[in-house]
Amino acid sequence: MYSQNIFYNLPIHGNVLGSLVLANEGVGINFDILETNLINLAIVLGVLFFFGKGFLGNLLGSRKADIEAAISKAESRQAEAAASLAEQQKKLAAAQEEAKSIVAKARESSVRVKEDILAKSKTEVERMKSDASRDLASEQERVISELRQRAIAKALVEVESKIKVGLSDEQKRGLVDKSIELVGGGN
Amino acid sequence: MTNFFPLPITNVLAELEVGEHLYWHVGNFKIHGQVFLASWVVMGALIVASILATRNVQRVPSGMQNFMEYALEFIRDLAKTQLGEKEYRNWVPFIGTLFLFIFVSNWGGALIPWKLVELPSGELAAPTNDINTTIALALLTSLAYFYAGLSRKGLGYFADYAQPTPIMVPFKIIEDFTKPLSLSFRLFGNILADELVVAVLVFLVPLFIPVPLMLLGLFTSAIQALIFATLAATYIGEAMEEHGEHE
Repeated sequence: MYSQNIFYNLPIHGNVLGSLVLANEGVGINFDILETNLINLAIVLGVLFFFGKGFLGNLLGSRKADIEAAISKAESRQAEAAASLAEQQKKLAAAQEEAKSIVAKARESSVRVKEDILAKSKTEVERMKSDASRDLASEQERVISELRQRAIAKALVEVESKIKVGLSDEQKRGLVDKSIELVGGGN
Repeated sequence: MTNFFPLPITNVLAELEVGEHLYWHVGNFKIHGQVFLASWVVMGALIVASILATRNVQRVPSGMQNFMEYALEFIRDLAKTQLGEKEYRNWVPFIGTLFLFIFVSNWGGALIPWKLVELPSGELAAPTNDINTTIALALLTSLAYFYAGLSRKGLGYFADYAQPTPIMVPFKIIEDFTKPLSLSFRLFGNILADELVVAVLVFLVPLFIPVPLMLLGLFTSAIQALIFATLAATYIGEAMEEHGEHE
């Protein structure tokens, strides 16, 4: 409101500091209440506070409440999630345990089955082997007896032919004696 | 910065000062000292508020933190509606700074009893009632949207001036000049007019009568801050908008 043209019109060609110092010489405080519009400003500020405080207070209060609700909700959900995670982990551990036991059982039974099968096949092999050897022996026997019979038959034929050719009485008697002796005349 | 917008109505209305400035001399420039002083006050208020809000950050915000978070949320929503969900994040600081600075300037100009302090020349008021401030803000907005467009599309940004038809090219070029012009003059005019009206009324009827107008001034200056920030965001969003093949 006070145009102090003394400073305004001064031709200042100094540096910033100099001009600042020069400019600051005119700084003062105006205590004229009407001219500085203090009363109106006070009213405006009062109105602003009166209405603004309630409005802003409500706004910020509800915002805070919303945030609190959201946080507590999130926290409860986190707790829930943690609980269910723990539960599932427990279940997982149990399942793994079970899986392990199943695997162990399977391994055990597999070993047992293997042994069974091995034993069975061994006895089978043994049986087959013994069967085969028995077969072999009987065949041998059969062949041997056949050969014997053939030899006997051949010998008989030979003997018959020799007998037919002729034996002296001496010889006949000697033969009969021998035979009697062979059959058991000696004892 | 020279005396860009002198309004010599000093003789018309008693001793009302418009176009009187507290000149500081920096090099060859004459700068408006009272604008700087008021800007520093505004900046100080914003910085102090930010420090108070972030000094002791709680999980459940209360007091200053709650208030500033609310302001930030407001600015973020503003940027989001203008720039879209994908892009708004990078521009929140710029738009938020514009909004907060203009808003606090306007309200500070209307609510702080600046006239208690008497300067050798000129008087303290909202920084936004000086055309230099608003032009600076508007030019920053222009830079911001050119940067947004060029960084997004390269020189193809200028090719988009011919969208949807080449007839648009001169209008688009004119727009680049009218955007900062309208931004700065709108803000400057509103705030200066508002303060002038109140000052004139105070001269004529010192008590009570100016109060409704002061309240109206608070309303319009808040709206002006919102308009400036919204328009800045819109210009930036427009510059980044994809034309042509991507639809």
